[in-house]
Amino acid sequence: MTLHLRHQIDVSLDRRGVFHRRDFLRGISAASIAAGTLSWRDVVSLQAADLTKRGRACIFLWMQGGPSHFETFSPKPGHANGGETKAISTSVAGIEVSENFPEFAKVMHEAAIIRSMTSKEGSHPRATYLMHTGYLPTASVKYPAFGSIVAQQLPRPELELPAFVRIGNNSRDGAGGGLLGIEFDPFAMPEAGKLPTNTTPATDFTRYDRRLGLLGRLDASYAGHGGQQEVAEHQKLYQKAARMIKSSQMKTFELDGEPDSVRAAYGDSQFGRSCLLARRLVETGIPCVEIVVNGWDTHFDNFPRVKEMAGQIDQPFAALIADLKQRGMLDSTLVVWTGEFGRTPKINPRAGRDHYPKAFNTVVAGGGVRGGQVIGRTDAGGGEVEDRPVTVNDLLQTFCKSLQIDSKIENIAPNGRPIKIVDGGQPVDELFA
Amino acid sequence: MRCNSMIRTTTALMLLSAVGAALVGRSASAAGLDPLSAARQVDELLAKEGFGAGQDANETPAAKADDQTFLRRVALDLIGHPPTPEDITAYSLDTSETKRLSAVERLLAKREFGENWARYWRDVIMYRRSEERALLVGPTVVSFLSDEFNGEAHWDKIARKFITATGDIREEGATAIIMAQNGVAEDTTAEISRIFLGIQIQCAQCHNHPTDRWKREQFHELAAFFPRIAVRAVKKDGDRRSFEIVSVDKERKKKEKDKPGRGNTEHYMPDLQKPEEEGKLMRPVFFVTGQKLESGEKDQDRRAQVAQWITSRKDRWFARAYVNRMWAELVGRGFYEPVDDIGPDRSCSAPHTLDYLADHFAGSQYDVKWLFRVITATDAYQRESRSRYEEGKAPFTANCPQRLRGDQLYNSLIAVLGIEDASPKERAKEADNYRAAMASPRGRVNVAFGYDPSAPRDEVAGSIPQALFLMNGAELNRGLNGRQPNTALGKLLGEIDKNDALVEELYLRCLAREPNPAEMETCLEYAKSVGNRSEAFEDILWSLVNSTEFLNRK
Repeated sequence: MTLHLRHQIDVSLDRRGVFHRRDFLRGISAASIAAGTLSWRDVVSLQAADLTKRGRACIFLWMQGGPSHFETFSPKPGHANGGETKAISTSVAGIEVSENFPEFAKVMHEAAIIRSMTSKEGSHPRATYLMHTGYLPTASVKYPAFGSIVAQQLPRPELELPAFVRIGNNSRDGAGGGLLGIEFDPFAMPEAGKLPTNTTPATDFTRYDRRLGLLGRLDASYAGHGGQQEVAEHQKLYQKAARMIKSSQMKTFELDGEPDSVRAAYGDSQFGRSCLLARRLVETGIPCVEIVVNGWDTHFDNFPRVKEMAGQIDQPFAALIADLKQRGMLDSTLVVWTGEFGRTPKINPRAGRDHYPKAFNTVVAGGGVRGGQVIGRTDAGGGEVEDRPVTVNDLLQTFCKSLQIDSKIENIAPNGRPIKIVDGGQPVDELFA
Repeated sequence: MRCNSMIRTTTALMLLSAVGAALVGRSASAAGLDPLSAARQVDELLAKEGFGAGQDANETPAAKADDQTFLRRVALDLIGHPPTPEDITAYSLDTSETKRLSAVERLLAKREFGENWARYWRDVIMYRRSEERALLVGPTVVSFLSDEFNGEAHWDKIARKFITATGDIREEGATAIIMAQNGVAEDTTAEISRIFLGIQIQCAQCHNHPTDRWKREQFHELAAFFPRIAVRAVKKDGDRRSFEIVSVDKERKKKEKDKPGRGNTEHYMPDLQKPEEEGKLMRPVFFVTGQKLESGEKDQDRRAQVAQWITSRKDRWFARAYVNRMWAELVGRGFYEPVDDIGPDRSCSAPHTLDYLADHFAGSQYDVKWLFRVITATDAYQRESRSRYEEGKAPFTANCPQRLRGDQLYNSLIAVLGIEDASPKERAKEADNYRAAMASPRGRVNVAFGYDPSAPRDEVAGSIPQALFLMNGAELNRGLNGRQPNTALGKLLGEIDKNDALVEELYLRCLAREPNPAEMETCLEYAKSVGNRSEAFEDILWSLVNSTEFLNRK
């Protein structure tokens, strides 16, 4: 918690140009750190935690590989580029999606499709990084993932779990805390439905506490021999980790307590369990959850493969939106479905589609977004954005608007460079109208 | 001490005298200034620059660290492994006045010395990679640098190999910096300047540098040494894929539409107002000295030339950048911080000391081991540690605790658990597959605990997954089990009957020192209160492995 709070404070102080972290540490006596008497920090943090932001959260459904817009939410039946994929009607008159998303079609009135996403990055790692951070990778600055920004900007003092959880194996680098520090890294868990790695205590709690007590006493001896600052940080981290694994909030990770009807609605699949867990985590107070789904890189056999991928996604995605709505959480929870780019309009000789950043689609729901609308348009062939282009930074600005995060806030990179949360771009205001 | 330690001690002492003799021989023929005299000079200069005795009360230098603290520090620093209990015993029994020097010599001669610093530089390079596929070169650069550091170890030669590298990245480790930046001229330029000169000239890539004197043109003139590098996929039988760094001296037919100027054999500085245009043709000029080449030179000639200019002894940047970084690693604070930002408009805390070291390092022909000998012999290095930012304390009046890098921590864990490092066969397999390397026990510890060595150390914080790994990790906790006769603790519980001797042994294994009386009392009382001896010592060992001191070198 303290590591987390310290960044909160640093950032605001940096912006006023008063303090850097180091000065800050120098400015308070080592003794007060060791003694743990830093309650004034908590006061500052509580003031920083704007009450209206308290319930805000986001769930990113990250479709790694670049899902084809033709076979998801921008079908082009009747055009050669559209291939065999048919369009179906949705709960909103006049809006059609691909036949691969029948369940999503039923909740279309809660969601908005952006059909005019456009970018220049056609390589997986660079585009993935760009979509996660709003910046291209550089050697000099490690940009934070947007989820890390959310964890930093929407602090939850009462939360005993990590503030940014990433579910699923991400073979690509979706970026982490970057310059914000590893305390804002996503807490990664390969799959939902069981406790995260290393959270099962090595012993029973009585012995665990006894061990922690012994550790504290032995550490105190080192603190007295030149290591007070290191010991203070270490002890706080251990307290936080111990608080987490002993917390009743750990039950959030277990899905057994959910009624059968709810579990059935999400479906008995990896992605279904991940979506259900995401809802539970947000309910517990976690401001950002990312779910990673691999397999959208359909250079060959595009049509059956996207159908199969969509088959995994469709029902849980729709169930998540409906469940959040039913619980009154949808207004404050932004749900985003996106990949790093789209796919070529022309179908290649292997019945596949290749990388295509120039036009792709993203779905957003909740978090103040008015459902039942489509933003932008591609041309008849699906290759050119014809109306209302939305860049990656526009999209990130939109997330900030939904989450009430000031995108102009600057974090300071280790080389002293100020880095805006989002540099450039405009939110898609129509989404909120 | 137990008798088997004593036997090993005798052998160690015999070895020790052999090393001592070798030391004398070596000093006589060394190219650089005598390391010990250089170290004395450094301490005097530091004192003159305000970091010595007799200033005001706040700046009283810390006392000289005791032998055990010194030995763990220097072993972790030089070879990345903690000393074994036998090393410690041998060292404690050595009464010679030059025992710290001989310990350093012994460590410099170990295979692990090269490996440790190879891994360090791998991290320096790879933490700034622009794409994940660059991880393929990780094992190759470690083996390349291990050989270099264990061989002649001249930093200028190593730098020239990095700057001029070509070939398959799985065979040529020197391709690492270029591969990590995907061969892109601007990014490669930025890294070469940062790593070898300590100058962050890439800030001038898009605008004139706000706080340094370099202009946008100068960055792009430096980039003009590197426009002819390309990264190509190497297709090999089966699934073995690699990449190679090649020179492209012929004009490429296909230009990248979205990146005007890319794919050319010359470098163009983009026009910020008209990014769609090719930009301005830049001639290769080395910004530090103004030395220049004509356009049209071949890739290898350009790179060889700029490598000569960068490593030239006529100019101090190259030597200063390396000395500053190594000093910061060893003494805990850099003359400049961050360590890779030492540009002409940055302030240096002790410029005369740095220049003295840099000049003599250059004079030793950039002998890496010479610099290690000098720094580890200074009082500045050998003092007790104080927390990094203790109020009112000047730098260099004490050493600073350093958080162990992933590899150092892994080496410490296997020493405690009494398990072997990966076998040469396993290593070869890992070298062939970076995913396997990352999934290995060492790889996982590196992923969880590693950090960018160039990052300011006060920015390097612990994380929840790290704590959880050490607290609850199943493999680790199986290794800490005392009721299994085949674990290290199980064996010790069987061999050592007396609790105080066992506490002492665990302290030596984990922290490379004996417990102080208060710690001994805490542990003995703890054992008494728990009753069950195995259980009590499992808890003690667990606490030591989870302690702050274990994670740091002080």
